[in-house]
Amino acid sequence: MNISRYSKCGLLIAGAALAMPASALAATQGTAGATSTGSVSISATIPGRVQLSGLADVAFGTVDPTVAAAQAENVCVWSNTSGKGYTVTATGSGTSNAFTVSDGTNTVPYSVEWAGSSGQSSGTALVSGTALGGLSSTAANPTCSAGPSATASLIVRMTAASLQAAVASSYLGTLTLLVAPQ
Amino acid sequence: MALLSSDTGPLEHGRIYKRSRLRLLSALCAGAFAALHAAPAAAGDTVRISGLSDVAFGSISNFSGDSVQSQSLCLYSKSPPADHYRITAAGSGPGGAFLLSSGSATLPFDVQWSDSAGQSSGSQLLPNQPLTGQQSSAGAGSADDCSSGPGTTASLIIILRSASLSTAASGSYSGTLSLLVAPE
Repeated sequence: MNISRYSKCGLLIAGAALAMPASALAATQGTAGATSTGSVSISATIPGRVQLSGLADVAFGTVDPTVAAAQAENVCVWSNTSGKGYTVTATGSGTSNAFTVSDGTNTVPYSVEWAGSSGQSSGTALVSGTALGGLSSTAANPTCSAGPSATASLIVRMTAASLQAAVASSYLGTLTLLVAPQ
Repeated sequence: MALLSSDTGPLEHGRIYKRSRLRLLSALCAGAFAALHAAPAAAGDTVRISGLSDVAFGSISNFSGDSVQSQSLCLYSKSPPADHYRITAAGSGPGGAFLLSSGSATLPFDVQWSDSAGQSSGSQLLPNQPLTGQQSSAGAGSADDCSSGPGTTASLIIILRSASLSTAASGSYSGTLSLLVAPE
């Protein structure tokens, strides 16, 4: 019993020593003389951060039910991880976060695709609530103001079958996108 | 003269001359550096920097503004008549650059100095370049650790610029800043 307790204690101490930050180095004070030198250590932690910007509302307008509809837009995703990686998770405003638009009574499904570069008209299909990973950004700063102006593409589609099955009306919904560092 | 001494044989006059010139140049450079950085105003002049604390920014989550850390410290200078001094800073980056590092990633920082305590901004310091004309309020008659008052006489300000923070890779950064003071 005692051996087990000591082993646990030893592991804790070893862990603490390994986790000691560089900032634990103490400042040095100068001594009096013809010159005097002191030093300080400086430390800072920058956590993983992402930012999504440049989003625009998706307005299909009046659609022809015999033809599939698609809207693509360029957006800015910035990530500060070492590989500038990120994940994206989309959720709709339908039941259980489904990708649907509604007129209050009826719904029309849509699909969402994401591409890790701008200017794309197709990408990887997103599943509501499921993160798509393995993406990386080329943004130089959080808002892409330092170029490139966009780093990813968001594509929203409605199939002809869905449109043909829909009741004539005006539909509205919200798509929420969550990005996270990776 | 030690600078012109020969440690080679008589058939190497050209090489001796070249080596001597190099030694003379290096001695002149070293002398100039010493004069620039450490020449006391007079024999018996004394300086001391103390009361320094490590600078820990912690985790920075707001990149939209600069992150600033300032500290008041004791800069004693007994250099009559006005207790003037100069200060030179060097970081742990290449050539004394003011850089923090996290593996291969770097994060630049600015250093400012004020010859009064309690300041949040001051004169910009450049690596290895002395800031001259500073004056201490702790000179002759004061303790060299400011224990007899005033407790602090100068401010050291470290700044992480917003532009640098928003382009830096995530990570834990660290570095060292050395401060050399000399009387004037």
